[in-house]
Amino acid sequence: MKDSRAVSRRQFLQSTGAVGSAAYLRLLGPALIAITESACTAKQQSSVFKVLSEQEALDLMAIAARIIPTTDTPGATEAGVIYFFDNAFATEMADMLKDARQGLESFNREMQGAHPGSGQFGGLGEDEQDAFLKTQESTQFFGLAWTMTMFGFFSMEQYGGNKNHIGWDLIGFEGNHGAWQYPFGHYDAEVHKETTDGE
Amino acid sequence: MANEVDFVVIGSGSAGGILAKELSTAGHSVVVLEQGPYRKASDFTHDELSVYVRAELRGGNNEVHGQTFRHNENETATKPPEAPIRYARTVGGSSVHFTANFWRLRPIDFKERSLLGPIAGTNFADWPITYEELEPYYTKVDWEIGVSGAPGPFDAPRSKPFPMPPMPIKSSGVLLERGATKLGLHAQAEPHAILSQPHNGRAGCISCGYCMFYGCEAGAKSSTLAAMIPLAEASGNCEIRPESVVIRIETNDKGRANQVVYLDADGNEQAQKAKAVVLSANGAETARLLLMSASPQHPDGLANSSGFVGRNLMHNAHSVANGVFEHPLNDYKGVQVSRIIHDFYETDEKRGFYGGGGIDARPLFSATPIFHAETGRDPSVPRWGKEFKDTMAHDFTRQMSIVGSTTSLALDSNNITLDPASKDAWGRPAIRATYMDHPDDLAMAGFLEDRAMELMDAAGAEKSWRFGIHPTTGGEHLLGTCRMGDDPATSVVGSKHRSHDVPNLFICDGSSMVTSGRGQPTMTIMALAFRAADHINAAAKAGEI
Repeated sequence: MKDSRAVSRRQFLQSTGAVGSAAYLRLLGPALIAITESACTAKQQSSVFKVLSEQEALDLMAIAARIIPTTDTPGATEAGVIYFFDNAFATEMADMLKDARQGLESFNREMQGAHPGSGQFGGLGEDEQDAFLKTQESTQFFGLAWTMTMFGFFSMEQYGGNKNHIGWDLIGFEGNHGAWQYPFGHYDAEVHKETTDGE
Repeated sequence: MANEVDFVVIGSGSAGGILAKELSTAGHSVVVLEQGPYRKASDFTHDELSVYVRAELRGGNNEVHGQTFRHNENETATKPPEAPIRYARTVGGSSVHFTANFWRLRPIDFKERSLLGPIAGTNFADWPITYEELEPYYTKVDWEIGVSGAPGPFDAPRSKPFPMPPMPIKSSGVLLERGATKLGLHAQAEPHAILSQPHNGRAGCISCGYCMFYGCEAGAKSSTLAAMIPLAEASGNCEIRPESVVIRIETNDKGRANQVVYLDADGNEQAQKAKAVVLSANGAETARLLLMSASPQHPDGLANSSGFVGRNLMHNAHSVANGVFEHPLNDYKGVQVSRIIHDFYETDEKRGFYGGGGIDARPLFSATPIFHAETGRDPSVPRWGKEFKDTMAHDFTRQMSIVGSTTSLALDSNNITLDPASKDAWGRPAIRATYMDHPDDLAMAGFLEDRAMELMDAAGAEKSWRFGIHPTTGGEHLLGTCRMGDDPATSVVGSKHRSHDVPNLFICDGSSMVTSGRGQPTMTIMALAFRAADHINAAAKAGEI
């Protein structure tokens, strides 16, 4: 009998490959994964955007803010994910900016259709935003926004996002650290303590 | 550059790096042609976007390599965004970016065909050498490359102890051991090609946690970059020539290899003459290069009178189960694996299929955050929003994976060929991989996945999930494509790695392996390289190159 915890084939394809594979991400095209360190030097967060218009930035920020919302802990907004978007679109992902803009236009058009007279996506209530985003989950534009939000939240600060390691702190990851001394976690600490006590 | 040298070694990885060192320190002049750049330890970073996402050490994603994949020859191969055949393009090859799990084969791996009998429709065969013949070279790897570990209950005999103790146990190892004990299994320390303490003038591991996919900034990972290349260069006889992309091996009218043609860093065609050629480019690139070296004398590719070049590709099948525990494991720190289970190593006829495998516990998807968010998180949770965020925040430090690695049977239908349409960035015909696991391989992976779920429960996981077993669509283990054997009709090289067809062409890397082992081939590739070097040096001394 099939294990009740078995993950469906669709979920599998969406969420994982086996060891070392990353099929979902790779669907998004080579330019996305050609972001280089040299090209993405972080800039002052207070300065104007390099390529995004103010309205584009607000829309993308609003979307990223629903993907990783601000709750009792910081989210995509506080991590400055939008600066990652802007840096990337200004440099190695420049050839994807046109598609991203078209995707955003289409997104906004559908949003206006669903909420006539509502103005901007960010102007909707959070529940309305989430409900609309659900209708967009299968679009390439949402996939791009999702992936860039992850990159902007969890990549090194030099790429413009993950400000003050907000992304890493959220999940308890002390990244880009040099040496570590064991014990590392709860369970090995128990064992190493026993070993030490026995000496 | 046109001056003839004694040996051109193609590839500087697990095999090529060792052969370069052994041949050059024996006094031979050696040029190593490596297609990747010459990165040093100080060039290695913890930059997940560059290393994992952008595949920095692999030279970029598949838009560079143009590789194609299909499950069988009736399908038209397609070009996935991520290269299906994955190896590092850098001096030191994949020994630079591998996870450094380091298992010896056992005596049974070399003679399983005789013990179990034939398996219909496969090229299942014995090796032309025994474990006993290779054992001194495993020991040489232990001491010269640098291996940490401790003996396990089922290990093959060893002539010398490990040169240094195993890496400290991690929480994933403690939990695996806990589960194993409850189930009557035997967890043992993982052997690593990682120094647990200073050795041979190199520093010990600092437990930074960036082993899998990354290069080691401390030089503690026992890559050939860290352990062999410096010795080769210090001999004064060895030139490492990075960013040299080989396009063919040429032969003279006597049928001997006489020069290797390559593109230099500027894309200009160059040729290096040599008395002999050592091909150690990995189990995919080696086959591609031989096929690309077809000529009127060798219409089906060099060294391919048997038709076995490129055939019998073996990746090892895998299974992955994931579990989340009550307390933080922080398993992103330190090496990936600290405990393994080898109770299922040997074929057990009661299981109803051929094969064996090993089990390990490791962070895998919880080593770095983008990898976790993208592929490793609990798939029952939405992929965005508050629940997604809360789950990431809770699970990342509490999650581990139990990985199963299995045998792969050698099949004609699993192979490396030249894609008829796709080219790589250098204009070479791209690698086309055709691969469909034998049903027994998948059955074994499923068996190990079942055990992994039981282990998760026995270890006390609060939740666990599995991915299910699916046919392999590419791999890092590149084995079997120029197998060694005594019969020139069914193998590409003899037991001393000399090609049957071209007397001064030696081939040694994962392609030499006759069977796949149980999942961690690099230790065996390195032992084969030390052994091949001894035979090549002896032949050179006897004037028999």
